[in-house]
Amino acid sequence: MTQMKLPATTISRNFIDNPNYEKEHSETNDSPNTSTFTLTDDIPNHRDSLINQDSEFEIEDFMYSDDDFEYDDDYNQTYDSMLTKPVKRSSKKELSEGAVPNLSYEILTTQDIFENMLARVDHLQPIFNMPREDILLLMQHYDWNEERLLENWTERMEELLVEIGVSQADVRPTDINVVKDTDEINTSETKIERGITYKEGFNCVICCEEKDTQTFSLECGHEYCIDCYRHYIEDKLHSGNVITCMDCTLALKNIDIDSIMGHNSSKKLMTSSIKSFVQKHNKNYRWCPYADCKCIIHLSDTSSLAEYTRLHYSPFVQCDTDHRFCFNCGFETHAPADCNVTNAWVKKAKKESDNLNWVMSHTKECPKCEVNIEKDGGCNHMKCSSCKYEFCWICEGDWAPHGKAFYQCTLYKNDENSKKTQNDELSKTMKKYTFYYRVFNEHEISAKLDWKLGQTIGSKVRALQEKMDVSWIEGQFLTDSIKILNEGRTALKWSFPVAFYSDASHNLTKIFVDNQSLLSKAVEDLSELLQIKEPEEIMKKRLEFYNKSGYVENRMYALMECGRDLLCKGICKPTDQIFK
Amino acid sequence: MASLPKRIIKETERLVTDPVPGITAEPHDDNLRYFKVTIEGPAGSPYEDGLFNLELYLPDDYPMEAPKVRFLTKIYHPNIDRLGRICLDILKTNWSPALQIRTVLLSVQALLASPNPNDPLANDVAEDWIKNEQGAKAKAKEWTALYAKK
Repeated sequence: MTQMKLPATTISRNFIDNPNYEKEHSETNDSPNTSTFTLTDDIPNHRDSLINQDSEFEIEDFMYSDDDFEYDDDYNQTYDSMLTKPVKRSSKKELSEGAVPNLSYEILTTQDIFENMLARVDHLQPIFNMPREDILLLMQHYDWNEERLLENWTERMEELLVEIGVSQADVRPTDINVVKDTDEINTSETKIERGITYKEGFNCVICCEEKDTQTFSLECGHEYCIDCYRHYIEDKLHSGNVITCMDCTLALKNIDIDSIMGHNSSKKLMTSSIKSFVQKHNKNYRWCPYADCKCIIHLSDTSSLAEYTRLHYSPFVQCDTDHRFCFNCGFETHAPADCNVTNAWVKKAKKESDNLNWVMSHTKECPKCEVNIEKDGGCNHMKCSSCKYEFCWICEGDWAPHGKAFYQCTLYKNDENSKKTQNDELSKTMKKYTFYYRVFNEHEISAKLDWKLGQTIGSKVRALQEKMDVSWIEGQFLTDSIKILNEGRTALKWSFPVAFYSDASHNLTKIFVDNQSLLSKAVEDLSELLQIKEPEEIMKKRLEFYNKSGYVENRMYALMECGRDLLCKGICKPTDQIFK
Repeated sequence: MASLPKRIIKETERLVTDPVPGITAEPHDDNLRYFKVTIEGPAGSPYEDGLFNLELYLPDDYPMEAPKVRFLTKIYHPNIDRLGRICLDILKTNWSPALQIRTVLLSVQALLASPNPNDPLANDVAEDWIKNEQGAKAKAKEWTALYAKK
C-alpha cells in the first residue's frame, strides 16, 4: 500500500523506469528513506556535472557542503527540488496547492483493499469471538461496512447469524422444495458434517441423475452432487455476494468454495466482492480509467473537492503506473479545462459525425502534390515524402514562416471564414467547432504518438548509459522531458475546448489564445528535440532539453492559470445553445 | 433439439401425475422447455373465479438459471406490468436451483393472493393500490371478470 502525499512521491516515481530498481530494492521497497540512500552515490556526480557545465541554473552550494546531512523526509524533498531545479517543478506546487487544500490519497489494488479488510477482521475478532472465516462472511454481507455490522451485531446477534447464514436456525428448514421421492435428506438425521463425501448411487435433486459421485453438503444436510455445486458456484463467483446453500440460507465459507472449486477460487469471489465495494463507494474510491490498469485511488477526505470545483481546479490524481486522471470526472487530466467544459466538449464531440472528423484528422493531402499523408509521430513540421514540400501540419501552410516567426497556428482565423460563408451563422459555428475539434484531435493523436515515444525512452537512456558512459540518474533528463512533453501536450489539447467555449471578443480570451500559441510552440520545439536518436547528439543537447522542457512547463502553468481565470470570471461557459 | 435434462423430464412427469391444485402446466409439443400454464385466482382475492394464462420457459441453463414466466392474460396487479412481466424475487436474485417449476408457480399464485404495492413493477397500479385499496381491488375484480373469465 502506498500512503502518499504529492511531494514525497515525486522522487520515488523517477525510479519506476529503472528496470533494476525493483530487483535491487525489493526488500526495502516500502520505506521511502531507504530509497534515498541509493541515490547518495550519484549526488556528487550529478552536482559536478552540472557545475562543470557552467549551468545557467543556480545551484545552492551550501546544500551539498554538509556531509552529515540527515537523510530524512526533509532531505527527500530538498533533494527532490534540487534534482528538478532546472524544470522548476516547485512552481507547479505553488500554483496548484496554494489556493486549494492538498489532495492526499492512497493508491490501492483490490488485493490491497482485501488485505486491509483482513486486517479489520483480525481487529474485530476479539469482539465477535468467532472464527475469522465467519467474520469475513459477516463483513462481506455488510459490504465491508464495519459500523453497520457492529450496530446490528449488538442489537440482534443471534438473528444476524442465522440471517447471514453463519449458523443454522434451530428449526430445520422445511423441505418443501425437495422432490418427494428422494428421501436422501431425511435418512441422515444424525449430525451432519460439512464437506465433500463420496457416495455410490447418489440421487441428486438438482440434476435428478443417479450416479456414483462426490457430494457436498453443509451442516444443513442439503446434499448435492459436486457437479451441480460447481456449476452453481461458478455462476455466483462474479456477483461478489455471499454464496449460500442451494436450499437454505446457510453460507459457504471460503474454505468450502476452495475445496469444491479447487485452489484460489474464493479469491475470485473476494475480488468481485471488493469490486462491488469500490463501485458502491465511488465518492471515495475510483478506478484508474486507463485500460487494463488495476489501480484504485482512495481519497479518504473528500471535503476539499467542493473547493476544487468552486475555484475551477480539478482534483488530478496519479496512479502507480503514472496514469494521471481527474478524480472528479474520471477523465484524463484536462487542465486548463474544468470538468464542466470537459464534459460538454466530450458530449459534443460524440454528437457530431465522428467518421468525417476521424478521416479529416487522420489524413491530409499534401498542399502541393495532394498525396495523402498520415502523420505518424513527431512535430508539426512536415516534409512531403513525394514532393519534398515542407509545410505545417496544422495550418497546411508553408513551413518557412513558422520556423522563426511567431507561431500562428492556434489562432482561429475569422476573416478567412467569412470569406466563404457570409450569412450562414450555423455553418459558421459548425466551422468554428470543426476547426477546434480538428486541432484538439491532432494534439490527441500527437499525444498518443508521444506516449509511444515515451515507451522507447528507456532504451534511449540505456543507450546513453552504454555508449556515453552516462549514469542512470543523469540520463533521467530524457524521461523527464518526455513526461513534460506529454503533460504539455495534454494541457494544450484541453485548452482548445476552453477557447472554443470562451467569448472570443474578450481581452482575456485573446491573452489565452496567445498563451496557447506560446505553449504550442514550446511543445513542438520539445517534440522535435525528442526525435533525436543518436546518443552523442542527445548528450550534446542536454542543456537544451532542460531549457525547453522547463519552458514548456512554465508555459503550461501559465496557460492553466489563464484558463482558470477565464472560467472563474465566467468568460468561458460550456453551453450548447450558442453553437446549435 | 438437444436431449432434455433428466431434471426437466422428472419435473414434467410429476406436474402431470401429481398436479398442484389450481395450477396446470403443460409442455408444448414442439418445445418441451416451453410450458402453457394456467393459474386459478386464489379464493378471497380480487382474482377469485379468474383463470389466468401464463407462459413459462426453461432456459438452457435451468436449473442454474431461473425459469422465465410471464402472464398472458391482462391483470390488474401492482407487481405485474402491462406486458405480463412479474416482479418476484425468486425469479431474479433469489433464484435457487433447489426451486422447481411447481414452487415457482405456487409463488406466483401466492403473489396474486397478497400483492406487494411497496415493491411495485407497475407504478401506476401500485400507487392506486396504496392510495385507494378498495378501489384498486374493485378494479382488479373488474379486470378479472373482463379478461380472465373461466
